[in-house]
Amino acid sequence: MAELPNTTMANECKVKLKSKDDKIFEVEYAVAMQSQTLKNALAHTGCTDTALPLHDISSQILAKVIEYCEYHVNAANTISEKDVKTWDEELVKHMDQDTLFRLIVAAKYLEIHNLVDLMCKTIADRIKDKSVEELREIFHVQNDFTPEEEEQVRRETKWAHGE
Amino acid sequence: MDESPKKELAVRRNTSSHLHRKEETPSWHLGAPVDIFFRSSPCRIVVVNAQELDHPIIYVNLIFEQVTGYRADEVLGRNCRFLQYQGSFAKTRYPLVDIRILTEICRCLSEGFDFEGERLNFRKGGSPLMNRLYIKPICNDEGIITHFLGVQSFKEANFDLSPLRGLVWKKSSGAIHTHILGDMYSQKSLFVHRDCSFKKCCPLYKVSDEVLVVNILARLTPKDVTSLGSVCHRFYNLTKDESLWKLVCQNIWGQETFSILESVARRRRLWWGKIVRELTTLEAAAWRKLTVGGSVEPSCINFSVCAVGSKVVLFGGEGVNMQPVNDTFVLDLNEDCPEWTHINVNSAPPGRWGHTLSGLSDSRLVVFGGCGRNGLLNDAFVLDLDEPQPTWREVSCSTRPLPRSWHSSCILDGTKLIVSGGCTDSGALLSDTFLLDLTMEKPVWKEINVSWRPPSRLGHTLSVLGNHKILMYGGLATSGPLRLRSSDVYIMDLSEEETRWKYVTGSMLPGGVSTCNSAPPPRLDHAAVSLPGGRVVVFGGSIAGSRLETKVYILDPMEEKPTWRILYVQGRQPKYASGHSTCLVGGTRVVVLGGHHTEDWMLTELHELCLINLKGTD
Repeated sequence: MAELPNTTMANECKVKLKSKDDKIFEVEYAVAMQSQTLKNALAHTGCTDTALPLHDISSQILAKVIEYCEYHVNAANTISEKDVKTWDEELVKHMDQDTLFRLIVAAKYLEIHNLVDLMCKTIADRIKDKSVEELREIFHVQNDFTPEEEEQVRRETKWAHGE
Repeated sequence: MDESPKKELAVRRNTSSHLHRKEETPSWHLGAPVDIFFRSSPCRIVVVNAQELDHPIIYVNLIFEQVTGYRADEVLGRNCRFLQYQGSFAKTRYPLVDIRILTEICRCLSEGFDFEGERLNFRKGGSPLMNRLYIKPICNDEGIITHFLGVQSFKEANFDLSPLRGLVWKKSSGAIHTHILGDMYSQKSLFVHRDCSFKKCCPLYKVSDEVLVVNILARLTPKDVTSLGSVCHRFYNLTKDESLWKLVCQNIWGQETFSILESVARRRRLWWGKIVRELTTLEAAAWRKLTVGGSVEPSCINFSVCAVGSKVVLFGGEGVNMQPVNDTFVLDLNEDCPEWTHINVNSAPPGRWGHTLSGLSDSRLVVFGGCGRNGLLNDAFVLDLDEPQPTWREVSCSTRPLPRSWHSSCILDGTKLIVSGGCTDSGALLSDTFLLDLTMEKPVWKEINVSWRPPSRLGHTLSVLGNHKILMYGGLATSGPLRLRSSDVYIMDLSEEETRWKYVTGSMLPGGVSTCNSAPPPRLDHAAVSLPGGRVVVFGGSIAGSRLETKVYILDPMEEKPTWRILYVQGRQPKYASGHSTCLVGGTRVVVLGGHHTEDWMLTELHELCLINLKGTD
C-alpha cells in the first residue's frame, strides 16, 4: 500500500469528503487516516482534490465522526488517557439512540474501530439491566411476538433471570 | 427505452443485436479487451443510464440473471452497488470489497474513462464471486456520456469471508477477547428473521446483524442477552446464534476459563448456548461413577491430585507401613478407556503425604510441602508433562516458608502458587500466606503481609475467584485453647494495594450461629471447587459427629450478602470426599478419588460431579 511520498505532503494534504446530502467536509490527512477505509482509498488515489463520496453518511453524522477523529488525533500524545476517556463519555452522554446507531453504521463503514467500540459500548451500557418493555422503548421496536410466542420465549429465558 | 444507446451501439455492432430482448447475448465489436471477455467465458452485461441520478440499471442479460441469481425485474432501476452486499438482507457493503477499486470506478466514471479491474461481488444467496469488470462509457453524438456498459466475467471466489478474522480487541477490564473463527458469522441468522418489527427508516435497521452480535450483544450478561432476545423476532434470532454465546462466555468468564471450556466443547460437540446456561444454573449437575483401568500401586492414602488439561495427576501419599511414597501416576480422561499410568520420571522429589499438588496453566504442575520421611518439608518441585522425558525440577529458593503439612494451596493466574496455613513440626498451626511466582527465572517466595489474619488452621481450602481473588474456607482452626472445625469464609483481593483478608460469612455472626439454614456445617479436609463467575462449590470433608455429609453447597461471594445455598445434584454422591484427592477437570467435571470409607485402594472406581451435561450433539 503506497503511503504519501513524504511527510510534508502528508501534513499539507487536505482530504475532502462528501456526505450523502452533498456537503463537502475538508479534513487534515492525519484525521482521515483514523479511518481504515479512507486510508485504503487515499493510498490508491494519493492526495486528490476530488471529494470522496460517502453515499450513506449524512452531513450531521459525518460532522460528529470528524469531531471524534479530530479530537483523538490531537489528543494522541498530548492529553492523558483518563481525560480522553472523559471526553468520550461526554460525547455520548446525551446522545439519542438514533444518532448512536447512525454513528455505528458510519464508523463501521469507515472502519474507525475505536469509534465503533465506543458507540457499541455505550449502547451495551444502556441495555444493561433493562426490562423487555424498556428495551422496546429504547430501540423504538414493536413487539412482533404472538402471545403464545411471547410465553414460549419467557419460558426459554427464565434461567438467565435467576428463576 | 430511449433511442440514443440503440443508435450508438448500432453503429458499433457488426452483427445484429436485439438490445431490447434480454434473452440474447448481443455480440458487439467494442474493442479488444471486451472481445476477449466475450470469447473467454460467458459474460454478464449490464447497462446503466448515466444521466439519471445514481445510475440505475436499464438492461441486464440472461447470463447476469443466471450467474448472480437476481432476476431482471429485481434489479432494473437500482444502482449496481447491491452486488457488493453479501446477501439480500445486508444493508452495507461487505467489508472486504476493496474501496480503492470503488474509488477508481468513481473516478473513471466521472472522467469518462474505461475501467478495468477485479472486484468482489456476491450472488443473491450470499456466495462470493470474483468479478472481472470492464466498464465503458457510451456517448451520444454530442460526445456526452449517456450510458455505461458493464461487461463482467466471473470466477468463483475462494477465500475466507469472515470479515473479523484478525481483528483483536484491546484488552481492558470487561472487554471482549475475540478471535473469531472462519465459520462464525453464517448467513443463517439473517434469513430467519421477519423484519416487520421496526420501520425501515429506523437507524437500527441499518446496523448489520454482525455488528449487533459481535460488538453489542457479546458484551452483555446472559440476563441482558435474553432480555434483548425477548424484544422482537430479529433480536430473538440473533440470540439463537451459537457464536454469540461463545463470545458471551469469553466476555463474562474470561479467556482462561473459555480456553478450558473450548477444548471440552469441541471434543464433545457441545452447544455454547447450553454451556453458558448449564454453568450458570447448574441444573444439569449430576454425580456419575467412573470406572478406569490400570491401578495405582503400591496403594496409598493421603496422596494429592491435580488436573492438568484433561489429565488427573497423582503424586505421593502414605504407602505400606505408613512410609511416604513418591510415585507419579497419570489418568487421561480424554481417552476412550482411561487408565492409570505410572510415569517414569527423572529425579522424583522425596516421598511425602499431606502435601499439595497444583496444576499450572500449561502442562505443568507443582508440589509443595508435606510430611516426608524425616519430617515436614518446604520444598517445591515442578513437573512438565509435555516433556519427552518428564523431570521433576526443584524450585531453588533462598528463603522458604516454614515446613508444613495439611496446608492449602491454589494457583493464581495460572502461574503463581499460593500456600496458606497448615501444621508445623511442633504441631502448631499456621496462619500465614505465601506467594511464589513461577514465571520468574529465579522464583522467590513472598509473604503476603496483612494487618490481620484469620485464625490459624489446617485442612482448609483455598479457591481462586477470577484473576486476582482467593477464598479461604473451613478447616480445623484455632479457637482460643481449642481447635474447632470452622465454617468461616474469607476473601483476599490481591490486586488491592493494601491486601487484607475480608470476612464473608461463617460462624462469626452475632451469637455464633449462622442465620442461614442451608449453611454447610463446619468441616475440614473437604473439597472446594471454583466455578466460572466466581462462585464456589463445597462438599465432603470431615464434619463433627462423624455424620456422613452428602450435600453439595454453593456460594456466590459477589452477592451483596453472600449466602450458602444447597445445590441439588442428581445421582449418588460418593460417601467421602477430601480436598487433596479431588480436582476439577476441563472446567466441567469434579473428579473424586478414593476416600476413607472405601475399599477401593486401587482407585479404579471414581466418582465425578459433572457440572454440565457432557453428552453433546452429533
